[in-house]
Amino acid sequence: MKRMDRIEIHRFPVGESILLKREVAKRVFAREFEACRELEKSERSDSEAADSKSPNLLISPLGLILNRVFVVGVITELDNIGTQSEMWKARIVDPTGAFTVYAGQYQPEASIFFSTVQVPAFIALTGKARIYEPEPGSVFVSIRAEEVNVVDEEIRNRWVVDTAEQTVERLETFSDALTSGYCGEKLREYLLEKGVSSELAEGIAIAFEREHYPEEFAKLLRISIRESLKTLNLDSEGNTEAKTGQKEFVQELLREMGGSKGVDYAAFMDAATSKGIPEHVVEEAIRSLLAGGQCYEPKIGIIRLVG
Amino acid sequence: MDEKLAPHLEELTRALGNLEKTGIRAEFEKLIAFRVPPDVAKESILRKFGGKRKVLKVKDLSANLKNFELTGRILDIGEKLISPQGKAQESPSRLYTGVLADETGSVLFSSWKELPGSIGDVINVKNAYIRIWQNRIRLSIGEQAPVSPVVDSSLPPLSELSGSKTKKLIDIGTADFSVDTIACVLQLSYREVLVKGRQSRVISGVLADETGRLPFTSWVELAGIDIGSIIRIEEAQIRMFRGMPSINILSNTKVSSVGSEEAEKISFTFESAAKDPIPIKIEEIASRDSMFDVAAAGNVVSVRPGSGIISRCPECSRVIQKGNCRVHGKVEGIRDMRIKAVLDDGTGSMSVMFPRELAEIIYGKTLEEAEQLMFSDVSKDAVYEDLRRFLTGRYLAVRGNSSKSEFGISFVTENAWVPEDDLAVRTVELLRRLGPDEEDGQDRNSQVSSGGIDLA
Repeated sequence: MKRMDRIEIHRFPVGESILLKREVAKRVFAREFEACRELEKSERSDSEAADSKSPNLLISPLGLILNRVFVVGVITELDNIGTQSEMWKARIVDPTGAFTVYAGQYQPEASIFFSTVQVPAFIALTGKARIYEPEPGSVFVSIRAEEVNVVDEEIRNRWVVDTAEQTVERLETFSDALTSGYCGEKLREYLLEKGVSSELAEGIAIAFEREHYPEEFAKLLRISIRESLKTLNLDSEGNTEAKTGQKEFVQELLREMGGSKGVDYAAFMDAATSKGIPEHVVEEAIRSLLAGGQCYEPKIGIIRLVG
Repeated sequence: MDEKLAPHLEELTRALGNLEKTGIRAEFEKLIAFRVPPDVAKESILRKFGGKRKVLKVKDLSANLKNFELTGRILDIGEKLISPQGKAQESPSRLYTGVLADETGSVLFSSWKELPGSIGDVINVKNAYIRIWQNRIRLSIGEQAPVSPVVDSSLPPLSELSGSKTKKLIDIGTADFSVDTIACVLQLSYREVLVKGRQSRVISGVLADETGRLPFTSWVELAGIDIGSIIRIEEAQIRMFRGMPSINILSNTKVSSVGSEEAEKISFTFESAAKDPIPIKIEEIASRDSMFDVAAAGNVVSVRPGSGIISRCPECSRVIQKGNCRVHGKVEGIRDMRIKAVLDDGTGSMSVMFPRELAEIIYGKTLEEAEQLMFSDVSKDAVYEDLRRFLTGRYLAVRGNSSKSEFGISFVTENAWVPEDDLAVRTVELLRRLGPDEEDGQDRNSQVSSGGIDLA
């Protein structure tokens, strides 16, 4: 009986062929992304979705089914871990955690990007989710980069709000599904009737079968999102003053560390963050100092205060 | 041999009905003749003709569907004699064409065999497929499609199905032939065209209601109707152009102004209908075959090859490669600039096309400036690379028309801009939805466990 339920769950509605079409780039926070697990093709058996051409899909504890993702965050670490050919490994931080990103010889565009990018920087990245499970219990979820670019802080903030919006909407659907008390095919029908997309309805039904305490993760994610939104450095009246203060502090620190020779950007960032200033604030302060002509880059990666 | 085949044939008959009539038996025997093992042949025949056959309604029909089942009432049927070209000695084939309808809409059909019914009868068609013909989907009933008459059908009677349906603009699609609607005239212009050697005046424009907008064309004078008029249109014909429905006002279409008293009861006014469209989710755009004059916003997740500086044929404006037009041969190309990008908002993605005027605005470089970049760089993709660096990841809002094909949604932009900064407002709203600040640890634990109990 249970088997039957499963098969029913994964049927896509008529006309909604998922082949050929470009996979949507899902917006997901690192926290939810790293909790994703593989969605077995057999779980979606008997439908077009189980076709061999269908992409490898992951499913989050909240039922988000994903393959391609679009993330914006700060690149904080970058290593070339390849032996024979290059293989870049990068860490991209969002307000909830970090994404691990790889780009190798088959991602030439992304590899070229990583070979020239300055760390740290705000970057936007599209890529495919990968999962690696060397032994039971240890799972590594990463992104294989497709397209990467440097962006500004405003785009990062928008991404955080967009992602929060889409995640909160999913969380609300998820809570609704929990309180409904349904599961399996009944749950799917209930959600479809409420106007939930067929993919999410399917995802939530599968997540319910997998998770022992689905509410727990939802709860933690809620807290994490709330914190993330509060740290956003939005230009509302309340924090302009604090921002000016931080900018002055950064300027002072630059003077202290750099002297007349200037200071290495990465070293400066470490020093500033160790004094409790968030990275993006340092970043923004330096940028505004650069734009205002109060400091300049004598060499790439070196910041020097004017005068 | 036949004895071995008999049980398979029996099974096929049980699943698919009369094998002789539909030619399935011949197909099965063909496979056997090619030494396909009988059980494998049976499987493949079942897959092709039966198995997971879908039962559809007219509104579900879309391009490239095949092997489905449909029940409808014949609204119209006629026959044509078609002589194969250059084969005059062969007797002409008969093609039966007409309109089939159910409660969700109507569809043109063509059949190469006589159907068991005439106008007003209900028929059930299995193993039908869809072809695109004259910009419209057409139900094709082939030799291998079993058609059977349905005697006691619950479908609405002929009179109800054949009349025009009253529809909101957003609900008008390929399944409609004739509709009634109330809408407001947003744009209106006149042009002279030659129709069968006679100069005639055609009115074209845009109609709107609270659900959406559609282009319209009138082949008759619309006395007393101008931009801002709210009109009732009865029995307008729907035509498809590039996947987009358009409302055609013909001589038998009734058009009347809606009086001011009645206009108050309508859920839109000229002012509300004329407002610029607000961005909607790409998911919503993806759920429809086409949308006219809508807006969406998202990130440029990819700038596609073919963006940047291109050459066009001076005669036909086709994009040319290496100085050769595929229709006009060697030509002196005209330089143009365009951007093809994938816009994605997390709910859907679409391929967006920016013509030169918009490409120049969002790129911040004119065609001439881009040309200088092209000539100053050794890489032939200098402009494309520059575009990628400039656009990848950025936010854009677009307004224009969408249409869906087997490769996804194509969106032709009429306007593009950077979406306004509304983050502070959205953040406040999100914090409200997330509820009050977290409770202490004790409280949280108890909630988790109660969640667990709910599940059990």
